[in-house]
Amino acid sequence: MKNLKKSLLAKHFSHIYIEREIISHPITKIILDKFPNSVIVEIDNYKEVFSRPRQNYKLQEISKKLILAKKKGEFLYPGPPLCHDFGYNHFYYTSLIFNCIFSCDYCFLKGMYSSANIVIFVNIEDYFKEIDSVLKRHPLYLSVSYDTDIMALEKIVPFFSMFIEYTTSRKDLTIEIRTKTADYEVLQSLRPSENIILAWTLSPQEIIEKFEHKTPSLSARLETIKKAIENGWKVRLCFDPILFTKNWKEIYLKFLDQVFKQIEPFKITDISIGVFRIPKDYLKRMKKVFVNEITLFPYEEENGIFTYPDELKKEIMEFFLSKLIQFIPESKIFTI
Amino acid sequence: MIYLITAFYPEAKAFIDYFGLKKLYEPSKFQIFSGDKILLIVSGEGILQAAIATTFALTKFGANDKCIALNIGICGAKKKSLSKGDVLLCNKIINHYSKRTFYPDILITHQMKEVSLETFPFPIKKDTFTDEIEGDIVDMEGAGFFEAALSFLAPHNVHCIKIVYDFLDYEKIEPQEVTNLVKQCIPFIENFINTLVDMNLVFCTNIIEEEKIREVVEKLKSSLRLTTSMTYQLEKLLKSYIIRHENLPENISEFFNINVNSKKEGKQYFEKLKKILIS
Ligand code: SF4
Repeated sequence: MKNLKKSLLAKHFSHIYIEREIISHPITKIILDKFPNSVIVEIDNYKEVFSRPRQNYKLQEISKKLILAKKKGEFLYPGPPLCHDFGYNHFYYTSLIFNCIFSCDYCFLKGMYSSANIVIFVNIEDYFKEIDSVLKRHPLYLSVSYDTDIMALEKIVPFFSMFIEYTTSRKDLTIEIRTKTADYEVLQSLRPSENIILAWTLSPQEIIEKFEHKTPSLSARLETIKKAIENGWKVRLCFDPILFTKNWKEIYLKFLDQVFKQIEPFKITDISIGVFRIPKDYLKRMKKVFVNEITLFPYEEENGIFTYPDELKKEIMEFFLSKLIQFIPESKIFTI
Repeated sequence: MIYLITAFYPEAKAFIDYFGLKKLYEPSKFQIFSGDKILLIVSGEGILQAAIATTFALTKFGANDKCIALNIGICGAKKKSLSKGDVLLCNKIINHYSKRTFYPDILITHQMKEVSLETFPFPIKKDTFTDEIEGDIVDMEGAGFFEAALSFLAPHNVHCIKIVYDFLDYEKIEPQEVTNLVKQCIPFIENFINTLVDMNLVFCTNIIEEEKIREVVEKLKSSLRLTTSMTYQLEKLLKSYIIRHENLPENISEFFNINVNSKKEGKQYFEKLKKILIS
């Protein structure tokens, strides 16, 4: 064709799709104020956009859109067996946001959803209502950053801080917020509380560069963790997923040294570790879109879950654990 | 392939001239024109015609991941802020009759205004039509085209581009004027197409050299007398190894010249090879 001109890809959130019903919700307004130049498209139901057939997740990752919706139906779900319950009886998770601003090759969201666009359910008050009603029956351990990284998204929608404030006044509720962010500013104006656990997923820098696209560096994450601990936050470290890759032993050895050179082990609440694992159907979908080291590995199946072959899994776990216990007592380590 | 679907010949004419398209004598009720990687089909008026022509083109000439389909034509505008000749990219397409709504995936920047389009099964004139019009603009084909194209292509490769002709008050369509209006908009449309083509090329290319792997698999299949399931496994193992190490293991050639005598022996070599490949 004539005059081939290179134009640009649209910026993230160039378009914001909003369910008509929540167009004047206060959270919608907060979000829209941050994107004055985005094109607004009114929709009836988020699924019209999010669940379209034949979407290309990989391409959407280069230009993610925001979809603002109202959550209906269930607000809390029982914790899946692939996740640690840390000894809590009532382990649940909740989903205020689908998808993430980061893009890890191993992320199960890539197999779970047909779209890379980010859905935000703005009606957080309904989640709080539901949690309050459950708390009347029994205590609750709740993972609130399950299908996303809500701390990393705080500057787009303030759910992280809203959850912190809400949880502080509810002693029967313990929340875990899993994150890879290194943005300490988000924590600055908030007060730590006993029943809030900030869980940082850490990976060696080599792994970050290879598989955790757009996430902050290891040293930046460690800096933030250090500050959080100094300021009284309870911090969990998640070395999960541990990945099998070229030179993995050297990489993870150096990594543990780096982590515990910066973080005093006894100040950590606990640690969770686990190798890469993913439900079979999710991997199947990921493979169709992504050709990479994660999707191509010849995993073995066990009860509908794909993970490394037994021998390799054992080797990785034993190796990692044997090194880890040189820094931190085994009683603080949760394994899956 | 880039598929252009227009309702009328005067709309098509602008593209035929600009891209030097030639008439294709295919047995069908539609007029079809083709050029370098472009196929243009004139659907005729109406939602059903647009759907049939789109389905015909995408079935007859094939659809793959990188194919793009565009419905381009004139429209009536409800929005006061629009002007005659404005070229518009539709970010929402409403079928007035079925109430189904479609959303193209707009992943690239472009120089067009964005609007919502409502497709009606009849022409709309503001002084006689009393219902609410939801779209910023109206036409009679967009939704039919979109729904049909979406059965074959991804939503980032299916778009409606409309050019304002009237403000729901037209009396008669002037063919020459239509051609001229479309012609004026071609630079925007061409730029949009080029960007889409580039994006599809850059981001949908497979990074694994399938050819190379197939060759190695064939060699090992015969030297080790592998079963079908072992061959399948081997292919996966090789892909995974190459992507981790960027190459084949150095000692793989040792396995090429083995001539196993029994299934058992083949299995032993296969296990050995497997160990090397999972490292
Ligand atoms: S940070 Fe977590 S949620 Fe986000 S892409 Fe990575 S693994 Fe997925």
